[in-house]
Amino acid sequence: MTDRLDRWADPPLLVLASLADEPKHGYAITQDVAETMGVRLSAGTLYAVIARLEARGLIEPLESDDRRRPYRITMAGAEALAQESERMSRVASVARERLGTRLGWAGA
Amino acid sequence: MRPPAAPPLTRAVLALYPPSWRARYGDEVRALLEDSGGGQAAAASLAWRALPAWLWPRRHLHDRPARMRASLATALMSWSMLAGLGLVFAQLTQLQGLTASGHPELRWAYAVFDVTFAASALVAGLGGLPLWLLMLRRARREQRTRDTVYLLLPVIAPVAYLIGLIVTARLAGGANGVSPGWFGVVTLAGFAAAATAAAGPGLALRRLQPRGPALRLAAAAAGVAAAVMAVAAVAIVVAVISLDLYARQFAGYHDGTVPGIYLALVVTAAAVTAVSAARGARAALARPELGP
Repeated sequence: MTDRLDRWADPPLLVLASLADEPKHGYAITQDVAETMGVRLSAGTLYAVIARLEARGLIEPLESDDRRRPYRITMAGAEALAQESERMSRVASVARERLGTRLGWAGA
Repeated sequence: MRPPAAPPLTRAVLALYPPSWRARYGDEVRALLEDSGGGQAAAASLAWRALPAWLWPRRHLHDRPARMRASLATALMSWSMLAGLGLVFAQLTQLQGLTASGHPELRWAYAVFDVTFAASALVAGLGGLPLWLLMLRRARREQRTRDTVYLLLPVIAPVAYLIGLIVTARLAGGANGVSPGWFGVVTLAGFAAAATAAAGPGLALRRLQPRGPALRLAAAAAGVAAAVMAVAAVAIVVAVISLDLYARQFAGYHDGTVPGIYLALVVTAAAVTAVSAARGARAALARPELGP
């Protein structure tokens, strides 16, 4: 069941979250997302997401002599990530509260 | 330094993507696959995502000036063919005095064709003039003789055709005009002249690769001219069908072969003109991306 919940993870959000602290190239993003968020992004998904985020101005590529071009989050991307994080935080808060009532949890 | 050659599987899946996508992300994806070990799962995921890359191309990858130039060149050629088809038909049938008694739609169709064709030519000419002048000035300034000739073909080809027409009429024409054989030659030469006149600026667009407001204006004007010309094409279709149904002297009365071939050519030319011009106009008027 937990594996299936992984499908709810929004890949653009994962990439934005991965880039929130520092610029990373494609492989570093997949590694970071897998290690810190437990989601494995495929190459096809990653570059579809990168193209979409770049087109919308939420991330931008940095100059690089290497083929491994790093990306960084833009101000618009940081704002979008902050808004989405806030929304997810509210959802998580409501979920924890209601699960606590139902299952007798003390809360996380 | 040239990057190492990618494995065949990687090259194959990247070949599924649009060229602009490959040019932008191809090296990065190859590096990612090298770092991650690649494999069939990665290749499958890339192959799966290739179709959306075609269906929803990202505007930051889209070379709008190139799109406009290609659309302009195609629309100019197909517009010229459509104009030629319409003019030959309208002139020929009216000179022959073909009428469809009791069916005023034929007269209306001729009138609509004349007005819309003139309006379309005017819009296309006025919209394309600044771009043509800019390219001509650049070609002359940079002493690009071939491009100058290409750009002057819309003037040279019709003038050469008219001179040839006058000479042919004098040498081969009798009291009732030229023979059917010569008429066919003159008509084909007219289409060749129109194609040459249209191909010149198309080649110059490809070689000089202009950008900027003049290109956008020309592409937007081509969109308007094509929309107006589509009305002219409908008028031609109405006129051909009217003649075929009601004019006893027309093209083997009720034999639809020749009119059918002619209408197929008209519809094809109109469709190519409309689609090309619409793509160019869309690129000219494009706003920031809002797609999925």
